[in-house]
Amino acid sequence: MQGLLDKLRATVGAPNVLTGIDLSPFVVEGRTPDVVVLPGSVGEVGAVVQQAAAAKVPVTPWGGGTAAAVGAPPARVGIVLALKRLDRLVEHEPGDLTVTAEAGLTLEALQTALRARGQWLSLDPPEAERATIGGLIAANASGPRRHLYGTVRDLLIGVTVVTADGSVVRGGGKVVKNVAGYDLPKLFIGSYGTLGIVVEATFKLRPLPEDERLVGVTFDRLKDAGAAARAVLAEDLIPNAIEILDAAAGAPLGLGPVTLVVGFDGLREQVEFQASALADMTASLGGRRATTLPASAWTHLAAPARDAFASPGAVMSLSVLPTMVADTMEQGTEAARRRGLASAWAAHAGVGAVTGAVVADREAATVAAVLAEWRVIARAAGGHATLAWAPLAVKSQVPVWDDPGPAGRIMQHIKAQLDPNNVLNPGRFVSGI
Amino acid sequence: MATLTLDRKSALRRELEAIVGRGGVLSEPDELLVYESDGLTLFRALADFVVFPTSAEHVAALVRVAQREGMPFVARGAGTGLSGGCLPSEGGLVISLMRMNRVLEVDYDNQLAVVEPGLVNLHLSWAVGPHGYYYAPDPSSQQACTIGGNIANNSGGPHTLKYGVTVNHVLGLEVVMPDGEIVWLGGKTRDALGYDLAGVFVGSEGTFGIATKIVVRILRKPQAVKTVLAVFDQIEQASAAVSAIIARGLVPAAVEMIDQLTIQAVEDAFGCGYPRDAAAALLIEVDGLRAGIEAQCERIVDACRQSGAREVRAAADEAERQLLWKGRKSAFGAYGRVSPAYMVMDGVIPRTKLPYVLGRVNEIVAAQGLRVGNVFHAGDGNLHPNILYDPRKPGEEARVVAAGAEIMKICAEVGGSISGEHGIGLEKSDFMPFIFSAADLAFMQRLKTAFNPTGLCNPGKVFPTRKSCGEAGPVAYRPHPIEERGLAQRF
Ligand SMILES: Cc1cc2nc3c(=O)[nH]c(=O)nc-3n(C[C@H](O)[C@H](O)[C@H](O)COP(=O)(O)OP(=O)(O)OC[C@H]3O[C@@H](n4cnc5c(N)ncnc54)[C@H](O)[C@@H]3O)c2cc1C
Repeated sequence: MQGLLDKLRATVGAPNVLTGIDLSPFVVEGRTPDVVVLPGSVGEVGAVVQQAAAAKVPVTPWGGGTAAAVGAPPARVGIVLALKRLDRLVEHEPGDLTVTAEAGLTLEALQTALRARGQWLSLDPPEAERATIGGLIAANASGPRRHLYGTVRDLLIGVTVVTADGSVVRGGGKVVKNVAGYDLPKLFIGSYGTLGIVVEATFKLRPLPEDERLVGVTFDRLKDAGAAARAVLAEDLIPNAIEILDAAAGAPLGLGPVTLVVGFDGLREQVEFQASALADMTASLGGRRATTLPASAWTHLAAPARDAFASPGAVMSLSVLPTMVADTMEQGTEAARRRGLASAWAAHAGVGAVTGAVVADREAATVAAVLAEWRVIARAAGGHATLAWAPLAVKSQVPVWDDPGPAGRIMQHIKAQLDPNNVLNPGRFVSGI
Repeated sequence: MATLTLDRKSALRRELEAIVGRGGVLSEPDELLVYESDGLTLFRALADFVVFPTSAEHVAALVRVAQREGMPFVARGAGTGLSGGCLPSEGGLVISLMRMNRVLEVDYDNQLAVVEPGLVNLHLSWAVGPHGYYYAPDPSSQQACTIGGNIANNSGGPHTLKYGVTVNHVLGLEVVMPDGEIVWLGGKTRDALGYDLAGVFVGSEGTFGIATKIVVRILRKPQAVKTVLAVFDQIEQASAAVSAIIARGLVPAAVEMIDQLTIQAVEDAFGCGYPRDAAAALLIEVDGLRAGIEAQCERIVDACRQSGAREVRAAADEAERQLLWKGRKSAFGAYGRVSPAYMVMDGVIPRTKLPYVLGRVNEIVAAQGLRVGNVFHAGDGNLHPNILYDPRKPGEEARVVAAGAEIMKICAEVGGSISGEHGIGLEKSDFMPFIFSAADLAFMQRLKTAFNPTGLCNPGKVFPTRKSCGEAGPVAYRPHPIEERGLAQRF
């Protein structure tokens, strides 16, 4: 280890190699890394990966750390490779509606720069002030406006990555439309650092809308809110978000018991028209009090179920068919209640992205049993479930990832081809990758 | 693969017939001729067999036979591709998906449809149209091309400016892997479990396997549509108008540019009402809510006028709108009136580089003593220079190819790409080094190996084949192995 440390210090400079007490913010699932390295250039990232590979020490790429606890607990964290110093906004050409930034730039810093020129990257995941561009891609993070604007896969047009052998590879490009070569950007989205370390990315941008509004409507039952969400989808309206929150998740908004929140953007007259159409429509479906919510409510919508408990016992993301959202939330609530546990539920309802959080319990086995049942519910609703967060005691009883079936073998083949020595984030991902 | 003996060939034919039925196999040279090229007729190659499966199980069984025989195989949709993607580059098996053309399921509540790969793109919109829905990606070839071909090439169209390309509308795929296993990549829900295999498969040009079912999103038809024609005396003004529209924070559904040569060809052929003396015209469409559509239209008209448009008019009704679009959509056909042949390029550039690159394209083609017509997706910087030529004139084809290479080089130099929607296929494979390093290509090659370890699934595509990666010459003249065997010839 000492030999490796010396090499790392020679590569990135001693102040950028952290050891001892400085490692504490980088503990993953109770495991302390051997060392944290902060390279200052793409070349240095490559050199560090090569040194790690030669020493057979795993590399854990690190952005803002917001998703570090997602995944199976690592056998060994090894070298945490933090991208924090690669934080330049490389190029923003407003006329091209594209931006290129280094991986360590935070989303908030990027948005601030873009907003100053009337544009934005249409992604609104939680913790934008900590989440980095690289982490956003690796964790496929998203928020409520994904309803209209999609997820990273709809916006990322180019990536530069450092691969498992330390070489630099580019995929995609800087233009908004491009089919030359395989779509490498897609490969890295949601890959949790298992195939390469994203060091730079290029995105499509959008102009900032002239106006935007969030409207909250109260319902008595999840079922009714679900029916209303479906009715909105079947209408000519073009909302940018359709959220359903249960009582626990919606409490901070002051509405409920069940809240349907719908966002609209565009020209002022478009927003006005849609907001009033929504009020009329939901009134006939049992909705009460269509209320304009303050803009600050957007932030709450990014992770309302998780935030419902001061310290949740576990958080699960369920991907289901949009029509199954309310049923999933109801059944999930009931499954927890049967075991005497409270839960909180929220959904990006139009795209079927549901999150459930269960309250902490002394018995990890009880929490685990609830989660196992939630997974069955997700599958029955045509989808799958991922354990987004849980303490180790729970993770040891419930797999973090669902079983992808035969596709898992293809994923293993990809991993074997691109990281044959299993250097990058080993053992934390789907199918044992 | 060695040339098949006659005995071997008839034994194989019987085996293939046992899989797909007697009417499902072609092996006579005159029957195979129909399948020797796609929309890019510069390349031709004859298969040993063309087979017509009707199920994923058929496809799987065919693929297993091919693997056992060490015989290359390639999926084929409608054959409208423009890069030679579905050509049997080394003989072997062409697997036509044209008999797998059903809409299997439409779920309006969840806004998705499950279709077979041989379904013609436009037929999906027809199927869901009566319910007020449509399938958004609209290649100009949508009356003929298949969803399977669209998947392979990640096809775009005029409206992809606002709505995105094929991959943005694909949720999941059932795929026959190159080893014959039938696997689902993705599914009906939005978020992938594990790697986004469906996303990676789209755009892999038939080299990762054969799609046998496709889950696509369907969208509600917009409440209102407005189409504007803006006419310019200088092509630079038209380019400036594209930037001005973007700068005003507008996101039109489509912004298409048509140059003078094309306008005249279209007017000669169809009379769509474009002014013949204009240097360029922009066809701009906004869609969405009825509320605000006039306001957006006004801003667009304003942006065009400020950029020097001599005339801006909005289609008064649906009939006029259709006529304006007809001019755009039939441009390729119209070139046939003014030239015996043409070759379409597909470079993409940053939008702000339009004036410079269009100027360079004209210079490059003129220097070869040829003419070029431009009709393209200006809103997303996707150029389609159509180089007109006469294949009967000695040396002209070579000059076309040389001009094409130079155009791709310019696109690469300004930070663009060599293909926006037609794919690399055979045509552009040797130009990949213009935009990708050896490390990039090696990484892509390893990804291919993960899906297609024997390489028998659509070989010879996407990756450069020439030893010297830097300089590429007239690739169209590479003698094909089948040609050498006297089984095929180019004109
Ligand atoms: C007049 C004209 C206009 C055009 N306009 C456009 C346009 O606006 N935008 C655009 O993007 N393209 C356009 N094209 C190009 C072409 O139509 C598209 O690339 C189309 O997607 C090809 O579909 P196809 O069914 O003809 O595929 P084919 O040409 O048969 O095959 C194309 C590729 O798809 C693969 N393939 C086919 N089916 C499958 C399957 N089931 N699974 C896996 N791989 C498969 C083939 O192996 C091949 O690599 C145009 C072509 C023409 C002739």
